[in-house]
Amino acid sequence: MIQDESINRFDELCAGRALSDLSHEEERELALLAGQLGIEPDAAFELLAASLEVEALKDAIEPMPAGLEARLRKCAADFSAGMPSNVLVPEVPAWRKILGNPLAGWAAAAAVAIFALLGSPQEASISPAQAESKLRSEAGDLIERKFEGLGEFKSAGGKVVWSDRLQQGFMTLTGIPVNDPGKAQYQLWIVDPKRDEAPVDGGVFDIPTDGSPVVIPIFAKLALTQPQAVVITLEQPGGVVKSKQEKVVALAKG
Amino acid sequence: MTEEKLTSAGLILPRVAAGEAEAMGQCLSAFGGLVWSIVRRYLRNQTEAEDLVQEIFIEIWKKAASFNPAVASESTFVGLIARRRAIDHLRRQGRKPDFEPLSAAGSIPLPALEKSSVLLDSETVKSSLASFPADTRQLFDLFFEEGFTHPEIAAKTGLPLGTVKTRLRRGLITLREQLQRIATPNQNPAS
Repeated sequence: MIQDESINRFDELCAGRALSDLSHEEERELALLAGQLGIEPDAAFELLAASLEVEALKDAIEPMPAGLEARLRKCAADFSAGMPSNVLVPEVPAWRKILGNPLAGWAAAAAVAIFALLGSPQEASISPAQAESKLRSEAGDLIERKFEGLGEFKSAGGKVVWSDRLQQGFMTLTGIPVNDPGKAQYQLWIVDPKRDEAPVDGGVFDIPTDGSPVVIPIFAKLALTQPQAVVITLEQPGGVVKSKQEKVVALAKG
Repeated sequence: MTEEKLTSAGLILPRVAAGEAEAMGQCLSAFGGLVWSIVRRYLRNQTEAEDLVQEIFIEIWKKAASFNPAVASESTFVGLIARRRAIDHLRRQGRKPDFEPLSAAGSIPLPALEKSSVLLDSETVKSSLASFPADTRQLFDLFFEEGFTHPEIAAKTGLPLGTVKTRLRRGLITLREQLQRIATPNQNPAS
């Protein structure tokens, strides 16, 4: 596909995303094209869709339920006082506990980005060694952090490597138990307190084989200012919006 | 309190970003109904909708500093966040329990507003849309005004689902190009 065709297709997919009509295959294609073209989605599509929807609702606005409004006003008071509501963001203190003292290591990679899973482990067509070798040969700015298994997942390990210049990376995971996707899935989180109190969802993935290294491509979507850690938790199928951190599998920080 | 009244007295979001306690309440008064109405378009479950509205307001307050009145109105900014969060929520709910990795696209955070290639003005958007062919306008009306899904629109119009998707996508792209032309009349629209 030549460059112009790729850009046209990228625009079409961005428009589809704003219209919430992308198939899973198209979502994957959009992510791949963004990486290949090195461009970010134009916010114009999202803004246009929002503008049209807001305009359409202008004369049909429903008031919030009174109970919800009361909760939000309490939350607003907490928020403005600099105290995140425990009801709304219950996981923040625990994440801080996991992280311990803030570390600035990740900040050294100035524009390290949010990692979002690009594909499944099965889709990695190259071996872990090949993937890492390829990235090392092409990237002069590779950063690498090791995963440390926690709690019942002490045997978990591996590493995350990332090139900010290439906006590409891989997680190579070992020792993480096989999961039954119908019962639980692993979920990736990126912690950047400078950007957001709550960890950012990086997507869910499965471990299909036991013990052997699994390579998961990762993809940058948004620059962070001071990412401090990458965390893997075990969650309900499909993942969760906010983790209760009942099962923290592994942590890469510093 | 309506947004128009507040707009005449000054913008809310910059004051939220500045940490003004009073502005937080005004933000709820001005946009609570809008956020609730958007979420209810996508989520039928009341409890889920209420939880999501809470999350959306937290995000609005946190991102208030990124609001740029030169790019879009406050209601569009708020609507963008609410709409995207509702769509993402639906996508999560729709994921099957078998292996189904969260796609990178689904995890793409909202594009930064300053990355927009157009500056939005609702009147300009409306007038641009009015120049569309009648069949495309009908699809936009069914999707945005009536809130029908793509399959519902296909059933109502008798058009194949793929045609509905393609026409809506191309319509949005055309709309962007028209706004780009208005903004930079002497240049070709950028992709």
